[in-house]
Amino acid sequence: MTSDDVLAELRPMLAGVTGRPEVAAVTAQTALFGPEVGLDSLTGTLLLVEIQERFGVDVAAEDLNLDSLATLATLATFIAQRA
Amino acid sequence: MIKCVVWDIDNTLLAGTYLESAGQPPAPDPGLLAVARELDGRGIVHALASKNPPEAADYVGRVTGLPFAAAECGWGRKSEAIGRIMADLGLAQDAVAFVDDDMLERAEVGAVLAGVLVLTPEDAIEAVSWPEFSPAVITAEGRRRGLMYAQRRQRQEEARAFGGSRDDFLRYAGTDVLIAPAGPADLPRLHELSVRTHQFNTGTEPVAEARLAGAQAAGGLTAVWLRDRFGDDGLVGGALVEADWTVSMLVMSCRALGRGLLDALLAALCGQAAASGAGELRIPCLITDRNVPLRLALAAAGFRAADSPAPTAADSLRTSPSSKSSRGSTVSELAAPAGPAGRPAPRAVVFSRSLAGPLPVLPGWVIVGERP
Repeated sequence: MTSDDVLAELRPMLAGVTGRPEVAAVTAQTALFGPEVGLDSLTGTLLLVEIQERFGVDVAAEDLNLDSLATLATLATFIAQRA
Repeated sequence: MIKCVVWDIDNTLLAGTYLESAGQPPAPDPGLLAVARELDGRGIVHALASKNPPEAADYVGRVTGLPFAAAECGWGRKSEAIGRIMADLGLAQDAVAFVDDDMLERAEVGAVLAGVLVLTPEDAIEAVSWPEFSPAVITAEGRRRGLMYAQRRQRQEEARAFGGSRDDFLRYAGTDVLIAPAGPADLPRLHELSVRTHQFNTGTEPVAEARLAGAQAAGGLTAVWLRDRFGDDGLVGGALVEADWTVSMLVMSCRALGRGLLDALLAALCGQAAASGAGELRIPCLITDRNVPLRLALAAAGFRAADSPAPTAADSLRTSPSSKSSRGSTVSELAAPAGPAGRPAPRAVVFSRSLAGPLPVLPGWVIVGERP
């Protein structure tokens, strides 16, 4: 699975956990913790659960600092390397 | 310790079948209603999982007068309904009990959710005296827990209907947060939070009231209060800060999940530390499989694990694709053998954040100061 494939699946997932459809259209370089997406402890946890179910990658276990959650691009790359 | 009891409705909480009653649905079962009220008073919350239309849950709420933190009515599997309730309330299986008169429903839930305590109505009558249902510490806020979860349910239903961003909704809800030095009267509640919280807790052991009292006297104990138009949650979190700006306790009720409170507390502590001339704020933390929400808040506020070495070759071996069968593994499992009760032993790390440069921003609805 390429990181582009993962990215395409992450977009609707991110819209689902935040409950905001427009979030699916942010650029791959947008900061997920920034104001535009506003990922927080609740929506971030939901996203990690979805990722583990869909891709079998336990991001929390493998990335202590959760640097992979910086942007959609970093997250897709992190998952694609492990899925 | 059980934190939530999920009840079936027909022939369990109600003395009869909701849909088979012509005109007047059945009354509550008096024995189980007394049990549920007693548990509510101990701070154990209630939820419904029933093969009925949603009106049945509204009816049960009315005739029992109990606050229900969640209600799942439909014709799907009970294990899936309970799974949604656990996700919604942030509960692990071992914090949930399920009461149903139907043997097949009990068997289905027991098979899929092995950690959930599955009870017959007769068991539930006796369970009141069991240690799993008898918390050691019950404070005033603990006794109001069920009501507050019910308020949270109402808030979430409004938020779903509202749309818009989280910050838009928090403003609309009139969210009012006060971060201020804790007083002596706040010590029991802060101790209780150190016992009961897992998702937003940097430690795994209770912090004794004597320790909190010492910090309070020294001016190093901060508390967080929360209210909005849906209800007053009271004291929901706190921090114990040493003189060298090391945060040796950081706790926040999981009621605060998704309401920006831990972010606000971290921003306030960073601001206070920077104002006093400190170069960094340090937060020692035991990483568990439960406190991922805490790590998300730390990451969002720019904290990094300072003393954590890069993964070793041995770690990468254990996380390699060949070990996919152990995908439930966590950081802590990689670092240490299993601890008591089958839980992986936590991994100790120190998160820190430089206070040079821009600090995390406090939202407008947060007041940092003194209690009025």
